[in-house]
Amino acid sequence: MAETISSFMTADHRACDEEFAEMENAVAEDNWIEAQKKFDKFTTDLEHHFSMEEQVMFPTFEERTGMVGGPTAMMRMEHEQMRSVVGQMKGDLDSKNKDHFFGLSESLMMLMQQHNMKEEQMLYAMVDSHLGEDASLVISQMQGLEKK
Amino acid sequence: MFNQGLSLDQAPPASVPFKFFLTAPCFGILLGLVFFFYPLESITDQYSPVAVAAVHLFTLGMLAMIIFGSMQQMMPVLAGTPIKKPLLFANVVHTTLTLGTLFFSGSFLFSNKIMLMIGASFLAIAFFTFFITAIYLLFKVKYLTSTVNAMKIFAATGLVTALIGLYLSGSYISGNIGSLHFNFVNTHAAFGLFGFGVVLIMGVAFQVIPMFYVALDFPKYIQNKIPIFVLALIIAIGLFSFLDLDIYALKLILSIMFILFSIYGLNSLNHRRRPVFDVTLWFWKLSLYMFIAAMLNWVFIPQDNMFTIAIIFGFGFLYSLLQGMMYKIIPFLAWFHLSSSGHMLIPTMREMISEDLIKIHFFIYVSSLFFFIIAGFLSNVFLYIGALMFIVSNILLIINCTIAVRKYNKIAKTNPMDAFTQK
Repeated sequence: MAETISSFMTADHRACDEEFAEMENAVAEDNWIEAQKKFDKFTTDLEHHFSMEEQVMFPTFEERTGMVGGPTAMMRMEHEQMRSVVGQMKGDLDSKNKDHFFGLSESLMMLMQQHNMKEEQMLYAMVDSHLGEDASLVISQMQGLEKK
Repeated sequence: MFNQGLSLDQAPPASVPFKFFLTAPCFGILLGLVFFFYPLESITDQYSPVAVAAVHLFTLGMLAMIIFGSMQQMMPVLAGTPIKKPLLFANVVHTTLTLGTLFFSGSFLFSNKIMLMIGASFLAIAFFTFFITAIYLLFKVKYLTSTVNAMKIFAATGLVTALIGLYLSGSYISGNIGSLHFNFVNTHAAFGLFGFGVVLIMGVAFQVIPMFYVALDFPKYIQNKIPIFVLALIIAIGLFSFLDLDIYALKLILSIMFILFSIYGLNSLNHRRRPVFDVTLWFWKLSLYMFIAAMLNWVFIPQDNMFTIAIIFGFGFLYSLLQGMMYKIIPFLAWFHLSSSGHMLIPTMREMISEDLIKIHFFIYVSSLFFFIIAGFLSNVFLYIGALMFIVSNILLIINCTIAVRKYNKIAKTNPMDAFTQK
């Protein structure tokens, strides 16, 4: 069976979760050099995931369904909220403020998980059902996006 | 349990869940006080009026209160539509549930039928308002997950519990206690505790354990099969009870389901990917261990009295877990609502409630469980110590939650733009 948007993007969510946990591990061990590396890896992949959605999947979905202000708008808003928390975490990493870092990382984790859940439970299934056969084309377009 | 409904246009105001959460421990204090004003023998005899009052202070005032508060946060996004007029809905449910519980339990404590009529009427409004909305929202969810399925079972069994409860109240009011009275009581308890209580907690755990702690998912067969099996077993237990058959095999299978669920939950928590110490884990683990203990006790130890099991199951399992959840939900919602309305200078989740205060609360709570449990083996005098500790622990829960809610209220009143202006 061909890969669906749902299975492809869900796997990417899990990969981001793993990187998030590794980043927290490094901070927990006070290994700040490693933490910086893991943070960079996590944020690059998180941003890549957002780009796959914002630049490829959402526009395609919006075009097919005409739903411009609906679920995709809400997901974009939540991406912005997560970007803002990630930005604040970077400050804590620079100043090695472990407690504050974990306060924020916990909030980020909750935001990420509830966001993932909405996408996995509703949005991806909607996208799959609207795209049908074209899902694999969209997946390859998303895979083609460069990581920055 | 609030993992959904987080976009501000879908979530109810933060004050809604906070109000329900802060009311629950007030009923905990009342429940603790019952031990000091009524003979202990009447509390530990499950069919005495005082025990009926005490049980409902817990199941309505604490259990249903916390569940209703958190479900208002969770259901809208599961269904993709908000509850219409969330404040009105919350106020109707909260007011009628609070007054209903007070009058209902009061009627059994003071042997007053008028109070029972008033209490049952309020409770009928609370439960039907909540469940009709819940069923409407949950049954139109298109993309089903194990959590949504469990919640549907929760809503359906909750409605059955409420209907039987209403029937039982009616028979007390009319003084017409039929020959099937205790069959109805047992069915009411099975649907309420196992369906409304346990299945909901399972559904929430399937979602929340992996989410809060970046831990393993429950295996699919546990997620998909156990809630349905539990529903079938509850229905069977209910039906057989009308034939006066207490079938041991059903109890055994039900316990195995619950123990399996707990073992997988503990396994997932013990192998979580998040390394950070988190005091709410203590509540979760205590809860799941207590669930196993309650089930082993139920199946293997002949009971002359259900009091100890009720403590292990009700306080040890259900209330521990709900308190652990509240300690996650309140700081997160406080942070989330402030952050979403543009406030920049806000405490992080971990700064909302001091971890040390939560630990103190936890230890006092565990000590209350300890004294309640040993009372069954040693002397009823320990019930007083248990009840006192239970009251203190509920006061601490109120204090801790209030600290977070006050921090939230203080910042929420300010203009987010103040952060950019000089003071």
